[in-house]
Amino acid sequence: MGDILDVITTRRSIRRYKTDLVPDELIDKILEAARWAPTGENYQPWRFIVVRNPEIIKKIGTLGKIITGSWATADYSLGRIQERFAKIEDPVRREEVLKVMYTGQVSEFPGKAPLIIAVIGDLKPPSADVAYDLCAALENICLEAHSLDLGACWVHAPAANIRRANKLKELLKIPTGIGDYKLMAIVAIGWTDGPRQHPRPKKSLSELVYWEEFGNTRRP
Amino acid sequence: MDKKFLLSYLNDSLALYEETLWHELGGIAGAKGDMVGVSFIRSQNIIGNTTEDIIGNCIKAIVKNGIAEEIKYVLGGKGICLKLRVKGCCHLPAATKVKNDGIKPYMCPIVNMIVDRLIEQLGYETAYVADLEVDEGSKQCQLICAIYENIDKIGQVSDWTKIPNP
Repeated sequence: MGDILDVITTRRSIRRYKTDLVPDELIDKILEAARWAPTGENYQPWRFIVVRNPEIIKKIGTLGKIITGSWATADYSLGRIQERFAKIEDPVRREEVLKVMYTGQVSEFPGKAPLIIAVIGDLKPPSADVAYDLCAALENICLEAHSLDLGACWVHAPAANIRRANKLKELLKIPTGIGDYKLMAIVAIGWTDGPRQHPRPKKSLSELVYWEEFGNTRRP
Repeated sequence: MDKKFLLSYLNDSLALYEETLWHELGGIAGAKGDMVGVSFIRSQNIIGNTTEDIIGNCIKAIVKNGIAEEIKYVLGGKGICLKLRVKGCCHLPAATKVKNDGIKPYMCPIVNMIVDRLIEQLGYETAYVADLEVDEGSKQCQLICAIYENIDKIGQVSDWTKIPNP
């Protein structure tokens, strides 16, 4: 069996896409990967809404912008997010990055993707681990897209609160009853428009792993 | 049934739900609890054509029905920053329990009610509760809520630390 560690460790969240469309056969492969995610009680709560209509896609981008921009405007105005980006030494560059945050542009990029997959889950009994199952499917989507040389980014912002999620549900004609479907997130997908400019560093395993019990960093 | 006992029981239940939601989700829990409390305000005939009208009339209904004893507010920061001081709220024991159990309280039915009316009646785009400080000693909460009249308000930053508390 092949080791997929290379796929996992080379994946990045890609937010810039070419305008070229994603062929149907690749979309099918991505959906197939999602379908095979682990699922509690084999419930398979997921449903996938494939969106290619540019007008709808643009509206989804706007929903993301509103959610992220709403908290980032407040946190900037209270002097909070400046601390998070203090390590960017160039003050002009730092302010540019902060502006991308507080204007919500950071979550608007799905509006320019050629393809969005909305991941929702059936909550009706006997549903079990719906949210966790959906996250596993989302990860499979991102990994399969990357393995096909596509760029993808998992975005939660348009589903972050009930009101906003309902707007997206209405846009995609998903039933909006509180007990019907959980809108977990969307994935924006497209052909990568250049490499990611600022890869985020990962913590080392020594910071993350405990052996046999919490806090024990020494391997026996 | 004794009203004090009943309120204490309901606040304990509310606090446990708030804590459970936090345990499940971490920080994003704050975005999930924004509808808690809105049923009450939707049952009231809140009318008004301006932000101040709606906020004022919500406060009147909340105080008149004994949910809180006193609510004062200041609006600033280009009309986005709503600072509230809520005194004698019936949910204060729930917020206090959450705080004492080691979680920063994040859910406020009072602010949820005001935001609900701003969105549903004046067509506000969205809102975000940026801060909630509980002071059980003085029996009051200080809140900072960002309210966005329209999408163009997103990104209109200013210094909110200079806006006085109500």
